Amino acid sequence: MAKKPSMGRQKIKIEKIEVKNHLQVTFSKRRSGLFKKASELCTLCGVEIAIIVFSPAGKVFSFGHPNVESIIDRFLARSTGPNSHDPFYLVEAQRNASVRELNLQLGQIINEVEVERKRGENLDNMRKTNESHYWWEAPVSKLGLDELEQLRDAMEELKKNVTQHANKLMNPSSVFVPNRASGVFDQYESKPSHGIVSSSHVNAAVNSNFGYCHGFF
Amino acid sequence: MTRKKVKMAFITNDSARKATFKKRKKGLMKKVSELSTLCGIDSCAIVYSPYDSHPEVWPDGRGAHRVLAQFKRMPEMEQSKKMVNQESFIRHRITKAADQLKKLHKDNREKEITHLMYQCLTGKELQGLGVAELNDMGWLVDQNLKEIYKRIEGLKKAAGERDGVEEKPAAVVDGSMQRAALQQQWFTDEWMGNINPSDNEQGVGGSFAHGAGDEIIMQFNDGSNHAAAMWSNVFFP
Repeated sequence: MAKKPSMGRQKIKIEKIEVKNHLQVTFSKRRSGLFKKASELCTLCGVEIAIIVFSPAGKVFSFGHPNVESIIDRFLARSTGPNSHDPFYLVEAQRNASVRELNLQLGQIINEVEVERKRGENLDNMRKTNESHYWWEAPVSKLGLDELEQLRDAMEELKKNVTQHANKLMNPSSVFVPNRASGVFDQYESKPSHGIVSSSHVNAAVNSNFGYCHGFF
Repeated sequence: MTRKKVKMAFITNDSARKATFKKRKKGLMKKVSELSTLCGIDSCAIVYSPYDSHPEVWPDGRGAHRVLAQFKRMPEMEQSKKMVNQESFIRHRITKAADQLKKLHKDNREKEITHLMYQCLTGKELQGLGVAELNDMGWLVDQNLKEIYKRIEGLKKAAGERDGVEEKPAAVVDGSMQRAALQQQWFTDEWMGNINPSDNEQGVGGSFAHGAGDEIIMQFNDGSNHAAAMWSNVFFP
């Protein structure tokens, strides 16, 4: 089973945290979570809220819907109902529309994050499986001298072949490529070459059919 | 705690909305209370709803007034510095999620290219790959080589110190040649590629003698390392 990144949910006693560092981390996380809950309550139920929180350092954080000041004023003035004849009512209606859109956007991107995270997990699992089956996929620190030297040679060979292929694709005019309909030219992306492509001055014509990397074969 | 994923949009069903409001408002007040106690700080929450003419307040009317007074005593700039509303708060969340996504993309790309590299190391063709993949893979190969050389050096150093003898270059080459022959053997055994095992020795000799060998020789002119020299010795006696 994959190693868990953190301890997960631990039940804690609700009393003042003694360790300053823990306190600060807790404040940061919980304040953020609190605002998130407040935001969701506003979205789901269409209610108006204000929350004011002082940090351990004395700074003040506040969340308000439609905004902090109007809620405070309303509370202090003791007026109990929203004023729909308020000239700003139309502005608020527009604001609610943009909030709706933002929520949709947020939902979308959160889904994308989840997809990507799962993809990463799958890739990790695959790597783990391969590491246990193939010695050359194990971390370098676990290999012996013989293995390292073999791997080094294999990597050097791969590097040469990769360089050749990359050169071929980047300088198509100087190469006799039997089959140009492979669509590789669609894949130009701007990525700095990391200095690997410029080194060889190999006569590319020789490479025509033999640029294959067969490992050691 | 609910199991169903809730859609983050206004609940149109009146009774469902009221029920949700009751639950979540209670939960919210609990969270404010916990935050205050755990971190020893002052806070207040004010909730207006269509279900009640009076707002629900935490800790209570008096406590809220106290906190609000404290709030208003602060300079305007301090008040607004960390002030958010729905719009700004959600935008902020979107930005953070976008950053997270970017990082995940990058990490996953590296994982994918690593996998590709190992595939190519054991025989997958480079032919169909695009420039971006080749470049990324080349970079990754370089990174790996750095690590490998470093560790080889470290091990040789440790061995040298242990034996108390300086390694002679000639000895290294001989040993390496044998190793090179060995590695051909090992890769034969472990390789999951599509070479016919029975063709092995001949296939190897064949393909290298044919054309790939030429490439290797030509590359030597760049002054590459002695490892490449080993190759020509092994496969072109």
